[in-house]
Amino acid sequence: MKERNRSFVSLLTAFSFVVLVLTGILAFIRPFSIQIVGLHALIGFIFVGLIALHVANNFNHLSRYMRTRILWSTLAITVGLTALFLWQPAPIRSILSLSQNLGPALDRFEMKDNGLVYHYSPSPKYKMVLTIRAGKAFDAKTPPHVAIWLENASFYHIKTLREPDDLTVGRATLHYWDFKVRGWEQAKRKAAKSEKELKEQLDVDGVSGATQNSSFDPDDYVLPTDQDIPMPYRLLIEIDQPNDDQPSLVYSVIIDNSDPRAFQLLDLMGYPKREDDENNDKEMWALYFVDERFDSALELINSALLMIDRN
Amino acid sequence: MTTSNHDDDRRDFLKKSVFGTAAAGMVIASTSHATAQTVADAAEPEVTNDVDVLVVGGGTAGHVAAIQAGRAGAKTLIVERNSQLGGTTTTGGVAFPGLFDAWGKQVIAGIGWELVKESVELDGGQLPNFARVPQRHWQNQVYTNQFLYAILAEEKCAQAGVDIAFYEFPQAVTKTDNGWQVDCVGFGTNRRVRCKQIIDCTGGAEVVGMLGLPRLKEEERQPGSFLFMLGKEHQPGRNQIHRLYVHGADSTNSRTATEANLTGRKSILAKVRKEKKRLMHLQPETGFRESYRIEGETLITVNDYTSGRIFDDAISYAFYPVDLHTKTGVRPKPLKPGKVPTIPLRALIPKASRNIIVAGRCVSSDRLANSGLRVQASCMGMGQAAGVAAALAANAGTTPLEVPISEIHTLLREHGQIVPDKA
Repeated sequence: MKERNRSFVSLLTAFSFVVLVLTGILAFIRPFSIQIVGLHALIGFIFVGLIALHVANNFNHLSRYMRTRILWSTLAITVGLTALFLWQPAPIRSILSLSQNLGPALDRFEMKDNGLVYHYSPSPKYKMVLTIRAGKAFDAKTPPHVAIWLENASFYHIKTLREPDDLTVGRATLHYWDFKVRGWEQAKRKAAKSEKELKEQLDVDGVSGATQNSSFDPDDYVLPTDQDIPMPYRLLIEIDQPNDDQPSLVYSVIIDNSDPRAFQLLDLMGYPKREDDENNDKEMWALYFVDERFDSALELINSALLMIDRN
Repeated sequence: MTTSNHDDDRRDFLKKSVFGTAAAGMVIASTSHATAQTVADAAEPEVTNDVDVLVVGGGTAGHVAAIQAGRAGAKTLIVERNSQLGGTTTTGGVAFPGLFDAWGKQVIAGIGWELVKESVELDGGQLPNFARVPQRHWQNQVYTNQFLYAILAEEKCAQAGVDIAFYEFPQAVTKTDNGWQVDCVGFGTNRRVRCKQIIDCTGGAEVVGMLGLPRLKEEERQPGSFLFMLGKEHQPGRNQIHRLYVHGADSTNSRTATEANLTGRKSILAKVRKEKKRLMHLQPETGFRESYRIEGETLITVNDYTSGRIFDDAISYAFYPVDLHTKTGVRPKPLKPGKVPTIPLRALIPKASRNIIVAGRCVSSDRLANSGLRVQASCMGMGQAAGVAAALAANAGTTPLEVPISEIHTLLREHGQIVPDKA
């Protein structure tokens, strides 16, 4: 009976391992697929349980191995590889860049001496690369706080593509992004409570007729099913160099799938400034045009180029 | 029975007396008095005026042009077919007259801004902070009180020595040795105006059309907007009014304009019946977006407009998205950051003409450029420039195109207008 159990666990572990290997390879070489990654993750959970049983079944052998000198070399190799893969030096990054799947987050962010590069590819049909060239005031040793996000035509945040590395400091520094995200989260909470559609929670501009589209689903903009329906949206970045005593700056560009362009430069919009909404007693942040007080903040980036390959 | 009836009658009498007195008191309390000046020879239908500058149309560009010409020392008359000045801002009810700023600074000022600012201040309203980046293009529009605006425009005309003739419109224009003879008709009035210069601010370049000069017109026009307020109180100077698109609205002539107004009112009545709400406010006529444009000495293209081309003879800035309204609505195309279009003097001069200049939405431009240029702030800028050019031309005995551009710029600056940088 005991032997039968051991065989059962061992074979199940082996077969699960085969599925994990196959799905792992597929997840690496193919664009992100929730089916593949989901299968990989769920089989992975079962595999962990089976490994626990496998260890229990083979505990005597394992404890004997633990008493040999091989233990230390295997531990060292494990720690070394973990550190290397976490650090991701250039050779490792080049291996990772062979992957079509940039991970469940679908993006990659690189901070270099000469600037920042952000890749976003939610589908094989859509690849976005945002290249921010460093300006004179850019200091890679104390890298700037950066947030990248999308807004719909009604100027509502619909998706943060890149949060600042240090979220706490980032939220305290990148006021405009933080304000937009908080508004979005608040609307989502209200929507969940009232069971209303999110767009009903937000004050969609119906006066100017300027915003016929008001979807809050990023896919409607990034991956529209009908290219003929104009669904313009905005990509924004907010960037702040620590310790320069100047506010963050916001740059943006309008992306319109009905007028697709491969290259677009982001324009400087302004700097965020807090405003008190006396009527609603609410914290408000608005953008203001930069004035003569700004110097180093304006030299933080040289240019921000957005490239979109719609395949 | 008799006694009882008698008592009832007395009570009714007392009640009616009390309410009647109160009601009468209210009427007395809310009535104030003003006495119109006696019009000389009011019974005489034939009137003749000799002026330097005749402004035809007292709308968005016209009243500014007239005030400017008057302030520049020209004897000026303005004729307007409606009962007040201000046009789209007042009669049309679009009391948020376009954009005076671009990219953090004011680009249109002068007489138009003076009127807007004064009407807002008098109304206790608020002017926008131009340093703030507007999320939507219309956020920096100034909400004016349309009623105050119209009265202030009249006051400024009077102060500038401009004569106003309401309910009149030209019927015939004849060239003379030193200008024009324009025959206008109003009810009970036939006015003959002998003038040196005409500023055509009719919106659709009506005088230019009478002279047989070429005009441009699209097969299909942008919808007009009939403004009203249903169900809730309209607060002038504080909010926008509800809008009804009148498709096919055409201000080409009185018949097409009548049709647009009838259609608009009929639709609003249907809305009242359907929604069972009170009609709280209704403008007297449709706000028209598009009719004729002149074929000028130059034509502003959409590329000129969106690239912010600074013309050599630029007399004013303009700022608004490319804003073509269609049957399905409008999706304004904002200008790229830093771009501020300009308006050249030659776009206000009908091709091969003398002694006539236009201002307003009939400016020589292609359709897309015109969709941005037609907005009121830009029209006010054109009006002031036309007023300066006409006054200087009348004074020098020449035509606006031959007035040195530097003189126009100098006078514009003296009167508070912002002149494009390169100029």
